[in-house]
Amino acid sequence: MAKAKKAQAASSNGGTFEQVKMSLKPRLREMRFSLYLMSKSLLAMIGLVIVLVLVFIAIFAPVLAPGPPGWSDRNPMQIPKDFESPKPLGSPWGAYMQGEGTFIFGSGSMGLDIYYGCVWGARTSIYTAVYVVLVAIIIGIVIGALAGYFGGIIDEVMMRITDVFLSIPGLILAMAVAAVLGRSLDNIMLALIIVWWPPYARIMRGQVLTIKESTYVEAARAVGSKKMRVLFRHIVPNTLSPIIVNATMDLGVVVLVAAGLAFIGFGPPTGYAEWGRMVADGQMYFLSDVEYPPGSGIYYNPWWIWAFPGMFIFLFVMGFNLLGDGLRDILDPRLRR
Amino acid sequence: MKMRTFIIRRLLLLIPVLIGVSIFVFMLTRIAGNPAAAYITERMTPDQIAEIEARYHLDEPLVVQYIYWLQGILHGDWGYSKVAKLPVTDAIKEFFPATFELTFTSIIIAVVIGIALGTISAVRRDTPTDHGTRVLALAGVCLPVFILALILQFTFAYQLGWFPVTGRFDDQLYNDVSFQDYRITGFLLVDTILRLDWIRFYDAVWHLVLPAICLAFGSIAIITRIMRGSMLEVVNQDYIKTARSKGLPEKVVVKKHARRNALIPTVTVIGLAFGGLLGGAVLTETIFAWPGMGQWAAAATVYNDWASILGFTLITALVYVFVNLIVDVMYAYLDPRVRLE
Repeated sequence: MAKAKKAQAASSNGGTFEQVKMSLKPRLREMRFSLYLMSKSLLAMIGLVIVLVLVFIAIFAPVLAPGPPGWSDRNPMQIPKDFESPKPLGSPWGAYMQGEGTFIFGSGSMGLDIYYGCVWGARTSIYTAVYVVLVAIIIGIVIGALAGYFGGIIDEVMMRITDVFLSIPGLILAMAVAAVLGRSLDNIMLALIIVWWPPYARIMRGQVLTIKESTYVEAARAVGSKKMRVLFRHIVPNTLSPIIVNATMDLGVVVLVAAGLAFIGFGPPTGYAEWGRMVADGQMYFLSDVEYPPGSGIYYNPWWIWAFPGMFIFLFVMGFNLLGDGLRDILDPRLRR
Repeated sequence: MKMRTFIIRRLLLLIPVLIGVSIFVFMLTRIAGNPAAAYITERMTPDQIAEIEARYHLDEPLVVQYIYWLQGILHGDWGYSKVAKLPVTDAIKEFFPATFELTFTSIIIAVVIGIALGTISAVRRDTPTDHGTRVLALAGVCLPVFILALILQFTFAYQLGWFPVTGRFDDQLYNDVSFQDYRITGFLLVDTILRLDWIRFYDAVWHLVLPAICLAFGSIAIITRIMRGSMLEVVNQDYIKTARSKGLPEKVVVKKHARRNALIPTVTVIGLAFGGLLGGAVLTETIFAWPGMGQWAAAATVYNDWASILGFTLITALVYVFVNLIVDVMYAYLDPRVRLE
């Protein structure tokens, strides 16, 4: 009852700064407590560190991997290349790439700079993951909340629709949609959104069903709030913790599936900074050794072409997985305290 | 509720889902481009094009088109696969055994290893064994199947030479007899046993090892995690304390009392894991050049072969729905409370 009144007070006629501060106080306290709990969980902290490092890499990509002079100002997502055969780690750039530099992680087909691709690929992955999960959550929340709150025929129809999408294995559903739409990164993202919203709708519906009977929801209804207002201001905000936990884990899984799709050949063509595509390029050189320096008679198997982008995908997925696992323990009120 | 009623109810619930899946796939066929395009050439007059469209009912409203399309599907007309150069239904028959062999072996490996690891991990909680298992399970969830495939291929096939790099059988073994004539059921493991042909049987198993392990890895991780969790929950139950206090040996307590009950929640994830397996099969088959449906579908995407892609989508959806039905029935059998909902 008190909570509903407070929310009412804070939101009606704008509310002064003091009022907002007052209404936020318990939430801030909760958040500080959550952060404290998290700092005590080793695995969650490892996950957080991996995620932060990857975000750092994505943000500072122009500093970490500038490429040849002037490169990252023009078309940074294209990986620079020297058109020579793959070279092992630490060999110098070929003549075609203007400027001095070394291939820190070696070079790939057409002499693509693997290090550059790995660093800038972090941008592609974070962008894909956040975009897909965010849109999927919004669709899922709206559909799930409406289905759970209104029940009846709306619920029945919407849940049968989610059933349909859940009855096709995710990667294959995404593959079919992406195949029909044509190959590009945008279409992969669209396909992944179609795969990802139904589970959120399910979770949301379940949450709304349990919460809509609580006393504070009844109180909000009793003071005469409109249906939509009750649903989206009083019910939905209190159902978000399982959504947040799932979303954190899914940020990693989205990249896993997106990389899989890119590996089969959907998504951007070779030369674009995308980890899945880079791994697929490495597979082409899998069983053939390359000679370096040319004419020296020393042969290498170019494992670096697939191993480094592969490692980045692995770390990305693991980071979000650990973080999500940690968040679950923290946000679940039955497990905390 | 009786078991029979439960199964009938579950089957009835399948109908709207299957109709929904068919509508979805139908919509994809219409988005993919004009289905008559294959029959239209540049020299045709608008009248001729209209005639063709009328013949394939493309001038009718979408609902009518859907009914014609569904009729075709039910009569086995799934279109023509450009990649396989066969009608789609024949292509599925051709490629299904290889995929089934691979996924079935993988799910067996995953279930056996997953349940064993989960049990051990829970019984020896917080020991090095437990930590090791959990790290392995984490890796299984996070490592993309195509990267694991490359690692396995690189280490065990290319560097060590223990297993073949790709393929389902050694071509040289089939010099004197063509594979087409050799097959009886299409399931290579079964066929070689039926012919009591041990050399080719070992060859088939030898080729199956790496792709099956690769495909199973992710499911092992999922099953291990769930099994460990449900074991830990079960171990604290009163009936376990009772079993211990009446002096039963620890082995019997773990195997007969704890593990049996912990298996119940694990059964549900097997259905879920199977979906991941079907998706993973596309990647695994592509990398190991395994001549199954996944490789066929992946090849079809390269050539924009819609009929194959959508046929593959439809058949995997059917298989997935069917497997989940079996899992649900098993779950209801193991845990009678489910039937009472």
